[in-house]
Amino acid sequence: MSPAGHHPIYLALGTSAQQLDASFNTTAALEIFEMDFSDPSLDMQLKGSLPTSNRLHSIVWVNFGMGADGTGGRLVGGSENGTLTVYNPEDIMNSGAEAVVGQSDKHTGPVRALDFNPFQNNLLASGANDSEIYIWDLNNFSSPMTPGAKTQPAEDISVVSWNRQVQHILASANPSGKAVVWDLRKNEPIIKISDHSNRMHCSGMLWHPEVATQLVLMWDLRFATSPLKVLENHTRGILSISWSQADSELLLSSAKDNRILCWNPNTGEVIYELPTTNQWCFDVQWCPRNPALLSAASFDGRITVYSVMGGSLKAQQQSTADKISSSFDTMDPFGTGQVLPPLQVPQPAAQDTIVPPLKKPPKWVRRPVGASFAFGGKLITFENPKLPPAQSPQPIPRQVFVSQVTTETEFLQRSRELQAALQSGSFNNYCQAKIQNAKSDAEQDIWKFLLVCTYVLTLRLGDARTSGSVSPADFFSQTPKENSNFQIPVSCGKTPHLFLVQLLLILALFKYLTACHCVYFQDTDGLISQALLVGNFEGAVDLCLNDGRYAEAILLAISGGEELLKKTQQKYLSKQKNSISMLISSVVTQNWRDIVQSCELDNWKEALAALLTYAHPEDFARLCDTLGGRLEREGTEKRCLQACLCYICSGNVEKLVECWALHRDCSSPLGLEDLVEKVMMLRKSIERLRNSEVAVQSPILAEKLTCYAGILAAEGSLSTAMTYLPENSDQPGIMMLRDRLFHAQEEAAIGQQPPNSFNRVSVSTAKPAPAAQAPAPKAQIMADYIIQCTNSYLCPYTGFLPHQPFQPQPMSMGGPSAFPPPGPSMPAANLSGPPLPPSSSTPGGLPPMPSPGVPPTGFMPSTSVPSGLMPPSSQPGAPVPMYPGGLHNQGPAPPMASGPYTPLGSGYPQGGPGAPAVKPFPAPAVAPPPTGTCHVGHLFKRSVTFIPFAHVYPNISRYPCDGIPSGGPSASRSRPGPPWSSPGAQCAGWCVTRGPSEFSTVTLTANMSVTCICISCFAQLLQQLPAERVEQKEIPAEHMVLKSTFDSLVQRCQLAAGDPQTKRKLDDAAKRLGYLYDKLREQSLSHNILNGLHEISRCVASQNYQRGLEVHTQVVSSSNFSEISAFMPILKVVMTIANKLGV
Amino acid sequence: CLYFYSSPFYVIVKYLKISEQHDAQMDYYGTRLATCSSDRTVKIFDVRNGGQILVADLRGHEGPVWQVAWAHPMFGNILASCSYDRKVIIWKEENGAWDKMYEYTGHESSVCWGPYDFGLILACGSSDGAISLLTFTGDQQWDVKKISNAHTIGCNAVSWAPAVVPGSLIDQPSGQKPNYVKRFVSGGCDNLVKLWKEEDGQWKEDQKLEAHSDWVRDVGWAPSIGLPTSTIASCSQDGRVFIWTCDDPAGNTWTAKLLHKFNDVVWHVSWSITGNILAVSGGDNKVTLWKESMDGQWACISDVSKGQGAVSTITDTQQIEQ
Repeated sequence: MSPAGHHPIYLALGTSAQQLDASFNTTAALEIFEMDFSDPSLDMQLKGSLPTSNRLHSIVWVNFGMGADGTGGRLVGGSENGTLTVYNPEDIMNSGAEAVVGQSDKHTGPVRALDFNPFQNNLLASGANDSEIYIWDLNNFSSPMTPGAKTQPAEDISVVSWNRQVQHILASANPSGKAVVWDLRKNEPIIKISDHSNRMHCSGMLWHPEVATQLVLMWDLRFATSPLKVLENHTRGILSISWSQADSELLLSSAKDNRILCWNPNTGEVIYELPTTNQWCFDVQWCPRNPALLSAASFDGRITVYSVMGGSLKAQQQSTADKISSSFDTMDPFGTGQVLPPLQVPQPAAQDTIVPPLKKPPKWVRRPVGASFAFGGKLITFENPKLPPAQSPQPIPRQVFVSQVTTETEFLQRSRELQAALQSGSFNNYCQAKIQNAKSDAEQDIWKFLLVCTYVLTLRLGDARTSGSVSPADFFSQTPKENSNFQIPVSCGKTPHLFLVQLLLILALFKYLTACHCVYFQDTDGLISQALLVGNFEGAVDLCLNDGRYAEAILLAISGGEELLKKTQQKYLSKQKNSISMLISSVVTQNWRDIVQSCELDNWKEALAALLTYAHPEDFARLCDTLGGRLEREGTEKRCLQACLCYICSGNVEKLVECWALHRDCSSPLGLEDLVEKVMMLRKSIERLRNSEVAVQSPILAEKLTCYAGILAAEGSLSTAMTYLPENSDQPGIMMLRDRLFHAQEEAAIGQQPPNSFNRVSVSTAKPAPAAQAPAPKAQIMADYIIQCTNSYLCPYTGFLPHQPFQPQPMSMGGPSAFPPPGPSMPAANLSGPPLPPSSSTPGGLPPMPSPGVPPTGFMPSTSVPSGLMPPSSQPGAPVPMYPGGLHNQGPAPPMASGPYTPLGSGYPQGGPGAPAVKPFPAPAVAPPPTGTCHVGHLFKRSVTFIPFAHVYPNISRYPCDGIPSGGPSASRSRPGPPWSSPGAQCAGWCVTRGPSEFSTVTLTANMSVTCICISCFAQLLQQLPAERVEQKEIPAEHMVLKSTFDSLVQRCQLAAGDPQTKRKLDDAAKRLGYLYDKLREQSLSHNILNGLHEISRCVASQNYQRGLEVHTQVVSSSNFSEISAFMPILKVVMTIANKLGV
Repeated sequence: CLYFYSSPFYVIVKYLKISEQHDAQMDYYGTRLATCSSDRTVKIFDVRNGGQILVADLRGHEGPVWQVAWAHPMFGNILASCSYDRKVIIWKEENGAWDKMYEYTGHESSVCWGPYDFGLILACGSSDGAISLLTFTGDQQWDVKKISNAHTIGCNAVSWAPAVVPGSLIDQPSGQKPNYVKRFVSGGCDNLVKLWKEEDGQWKEDQKLEAHSDWVRDVGWAPSIGLPTSTIASCSQDGRVFIWTCDDPAGNTWTAKLLHKFNDVVWHVSWSITGNILAVSGGDNKVTLWKESMDGQWACISDVSKGQGAVSTITDTQQIEQ
C-alpha cells in the first residue's frame, strides 16, 4: 500500500513469484489500484500497470521522493533473480514509460525481504540469499552498504525490519528461526536471537511500533515461542503478520489454516477473526494511512481490503456476524481479466443491528487528550499519560484538570486597581497615579480633568465627614500660607491648567479676604465694618467703591440685594473702560453661547476655562457639550481628545464614550480598559454627587461595559465583571451575561437571583413559552431608579449648602427645608445629617439678624437653584426670568414660597410616559432670610447666593423675555428622554455644583484681572483639604483586614439587597465606613475599640453576625461615644442587613 | 477559590481522578462538569467552590462514551452523549434526577448543540460518514434529518456557527424573530472540512474546505465576537491546525491560515467563550493556547504540559477515586 503520507490511497500489486495461479500465467506485472471510498462500487480502479521482466518476491512503497502534494514516492520491488528495481509509481500510472528509476543486481538470489527506514526515507534494507543484506540509499542507488559481516552459516534472509523507534537499528531473520539485530552505527550485529528448542521456519518479524526494545518474531509454527509472548491460536503455520502502526494493540496474522486473526499482542488475546475464503493468505498488511483498513492477498489471486470499523459504506453489507466488514474486493491482479465476485458472505438477517466491529475501539478513535473552554476562563483538560504499552488491561486512570486561564495580565492588574479605587473611593490617588504614569500629554490632560471631577467629588464626601466640626469663619482666621494644603492639586499639573487657574483665583481671593479680615477695624475698613454691622449695605458699598475696592463693593452688594448690586455694577462698569471690559460684560451678561459657538477652536481651552468659571450651571453642561461637539466634528484625534475634556467637564459620560470609542481602538482589552477607567471615574464622580446610580443609557456605553465585563469574565474575575454590567438593561445580551455570571460565581447565593435572562423553555411540554421579556418587577426596579435619579437633582443643591455640613443646625433661610428630604431616596442622611426643620435659627451660632428693609433675595439659599429646573409657570405673576435658573432672583418673590413645587419629573420627562411621577414636594414658606449680619462667616454664607447678572443687565440678555410664556425657556430646554442622556439635562450633573459656576459672583478689583469668587466651594475646599491629605495615608497593615472585611460585607449585601431602601442604606454605609477608615489612618482609635472592631471583623468573616452584633454592643457601651459615633451605628446597620439577607 | 494570576498562564485549580476519559465539558455556567469515559458512564460533578461532588452517574451506553455536550440552560439541564455503541442519548434532569430523554441510534463520533436561538437542536456526526440533526419539536418528539455520506469513511466532528443573521450583525429590529441561517461545520476522514447550511428546511453542503492531508479530527466554529468575520479552527491527524476565516457576509470565500504544524496528531480544538483564545490539544499530551495578535498572526501564548509544574502549586486539591 502507498505510504501514510500518500493520498489518495493506492494499492500496488506485483505478480508474485513462487506461486502460480490457476491460469499458469507466467507474465509478470506491477499494477496500481486506487481505493476510492466515495465510489459506491466495490471495484478498485486500475490506475496503472507495468509489465516486469521478473516476478517479484517483495514490494515496498516508500516515501522517498514524494511530492509535497502527497503523491509520488517510489516503489521498490525485489525480484526472484536478485534484481532490485526502483519504480516511479506516478509514471506507472501515467504512461508506463520511464517508470524504472533505478535497478541493481547486487543480490545474488531472490530478494525476499525489503523494508524502508521510517526515519530516513531514502534508506532501504533488502535481504536475499546467503545472508545478504544491503542498505540502499535511494539518492545513490549504485553502492549499497552492508550492516556488517554476513552471519554464518549463510542462510536466506526472509525478513528485514527497521526498528520503529531507533533509526539505526535493523533486524533480520532467516527461515531457520534465527534473528539478528544490527546496529548500523557500529556496523555489527548486536543481538542474535535464536529459538533453539524449535528449528522452525521464521516467516515474520516485526518491531513493536512504539517500544524500541520489543521485537516480535513470527515463527512458522503453530506454537512458536518467543521470550515475551506466545500467540497461540492458528492451527497451521503462519504466513504473514502485520502490526498496526496506529494501535499497537492490533496485530494481524494470516496462516495456513486459512484464517486471518487479529490479536492484542499485549494480552495474547484474539480480538477477532476475519472471514476468508478457503485460501491461504500469504500477505496481510495494515494500510499505513487509513488505520482501519487492511489488505489481504491470497493465493487465489485475490486481494481483499477489509475495514475493522463498522459503518454504512456499501461494504457494510458485507458485514458478517463475526463483526468484520470486508470493505472491498478487487479485481484479479494477475491480469487474467477475470473479475472475481465480491466475497460471498451470508448476509445477516437483521441488517439494522449494527454491532461495533471491535469490542474495544481501536486507539485511533479513542480521543486521548482534550481541552475545552468553559465560562469564566476555565479550561478543562484531560490527557492520556504516555504509558509503555498497556500491560495492564484495566483502564488507565486519567485526570481532569480545571484550570483558570488568564491571558490579560496587564488588563487584570489595571482592572483590579480600578476596582480597588472604586471600592475604596480613593479616586484622587487613583487619578494622580494615572497622571504620573500617563503616556501622552493628552492622556495626562484627561486624567487631570478627571482629577478635578473627583476632587469636587471628595468635597462632596467631605460634606458629610466633617459635618459640624469647623465653621467657615474658623477657616478664614488662617492665612493661606498656613494652609499649605493647596499644594495637593497644584502638584498635579506641570502646566497651568484651568483648574489651577481656578485655584489661583481662589487663592487670590483668599489673600484678599484675609487681608480684609486683618484690617478689620482700620480706617475705611473700620467704616465699612461699622456700616455692615448696622446692616447698612448701601453705605458700605459706597465706601468701597470710593475707595476703589470694587471687589468688596460687589460682594457687599450681593448681600445687599439686587437693586444695590445692579447699581454697584453699573457704577463699576461706568468707571472701568479697559480692554477686559468686554470680557467682563460677557461675564456679567452670562452670554457664553456665542463664545462657545464661534470661538476659534484653538482657543478652546480659554473658552472652556471661561465656561468653567462663569457659565450658568443650567447652561454649563450644554455649553461644554457644544464646545465638545465642535471639537469632535473637527475629526482629528487631537481635537477629539480635547472634546473628551469638554465632556468630562460637562459630566457627559455618554458623549465621552462615543467620542473616545470613535477615535481610539477599544477592541483590545487594554484599549477597553483605557476607556473604562475614565468612564468609571467620571461616572462614579457623578454618582457620588447625585448620590444615586447613574443608569447606563447609551447603547455604546452599555456595549463597551458589557464587552469589558465579558473580558473580565473570560479572565475569571466573575464578581468584578458583574459590577460593570449595566444595571437594569433589558438587552438580551446583557441579561444573559448577568444571569451567567450570577450562576457561575462559585460562592453561590451571594445575591438574589437576577430575573431570568432568557425564557426557560420547558422541553417537556409541547409548546415553548412565548417570549415575554421585561417582566413587571423589572419595570418596577426601573421606576425606583428613576425616582432616585430625579431626586438626585436636588441633592447637589441641598447637599451643597455650605453651611449645612458645617452647621447642622436649622437655618434661618429655610433653604433645606424648602425641599424636605423627599423620601428615602433623599441623601440627606449622609450629606446633611437629620432633616432640618424649617424654623429660622442661627447659622454658625450667630443670633438671627432680621434685616428689615433689605430685600430677601440676596439670601435666597442655593436650594432655590433647582427651582430653575421647574417650569417658571409655578410662579404666576413673577417677572419672567431671563433664565430659568434666575427664578430665585426675582426681587421679593413671595409666590415662590407658596404652592407646591411642580415635580422635577414633569419638567424632564423621564423614563417615558410609563414612569411614575415623582412626588410633588410641598414647599413650605420661605422664611424671610435675615440680612445684615456683618460677621465674616455670615458674609460667606450669603455669598452662596447665585445672582445671574442678566437681571442686572437685561438689555444684553440673549433671551428675549417679553411675551414669552413663563414656561418658555424651561420648556425649550426640556427634551424628551431620560434626563441624563439629554444634554440639556446634563446640567444636573456634578458640574452644577462646581463652586465657581454655581456661586460665582464677579469681583472686580484693579489688580486682579479676573477673579472668581467661589466662596462656598472655597470654604469647602479648605475644609476638605486637610481630610484629603489624611486620606493619602495608608491604613496600617494590621487594620487593613477591617477595611477589606467590611467593604466586602457591604458589597455582598449590595449584591444581595433587593429593595431600594436597603440598597440606599448600604450605599450610605459604604461611605460612612470611610470615617472608620479615616480614623484607622489617623490611628486615633483606642485599643479597646480596635480590638472590638477586629473581633467584629472576625465574626463577619465567619458570617456570625449575631455574635458580631453582640460585640458591637459591648464596644459601643464601653467606649467614648463621640469617638465611634461616626461609624459604629452604620456598622450595626450593615450587620443587621447582612444577617437578614443571610449573605 | 483559588485563582492565581501569575505565570504560567494557567494553573490547575482542581482535578478529578476518574477512569479513562474521552471528553469533559463544563456546563453553561461553568459550575458543573460532565465527563465521559471508556467505562461507559457519563458522570456529572458539581465543581463549585472548589469542590468535586459527583451529582450524577449516567449509565445507559453500552460502549465507551466519546463526547458529551450541554444544551443551553434555557431548555433546562440537558446533556447529550454519544458512544461507540452508536447511540446518542439525550439526558435531562428533572427534579434533581437525571433520566434518558431520547435515544438515537446510528451515530457515535460527535455531538454538538446548536445555538439556543435555533431551539433545541443537536448535530451528531458518525463514523459512517453521516450527520444527523435532531430537533426537538415538543411533546417528547424529535425531528431527525440525516445527511448521508457527508464525509466519506467517517465524520469526526461537528460544530455550530453562532446565531448570526447574515448581512446585519447589529441589533435586530425587536419584536420579530430574526431570520437566522443555521450553519454548522464538520470535519471527517476524507480530510475535508465542510460547511452546511439549512435552506428551506433542507441541509445542503455550502462549502468544502480543503487543506488537510489527513483525517480532520476536530473542528470548532469560533463564537461571534461582534465582528463580521466568521472563524473556524480545524485540526487534523496530519498535525496541522488551520484557522479559516471568512469576511464575506455571504460566507463564500474562506481563507486558510496555518496556525501550526505539530509533530503529532491534533485531537481537539476549543475556542474560549470570548472567541479570542484557541486551545489545541494534541497527541503529545500538550495543550497549547493560541491567540491572534493585532496584526493577525497567531501566537502561542502558553505551552505548559499539565502535570509538569503547575499541579504542584496547589495544595488543597482533592481527588475522587473511581
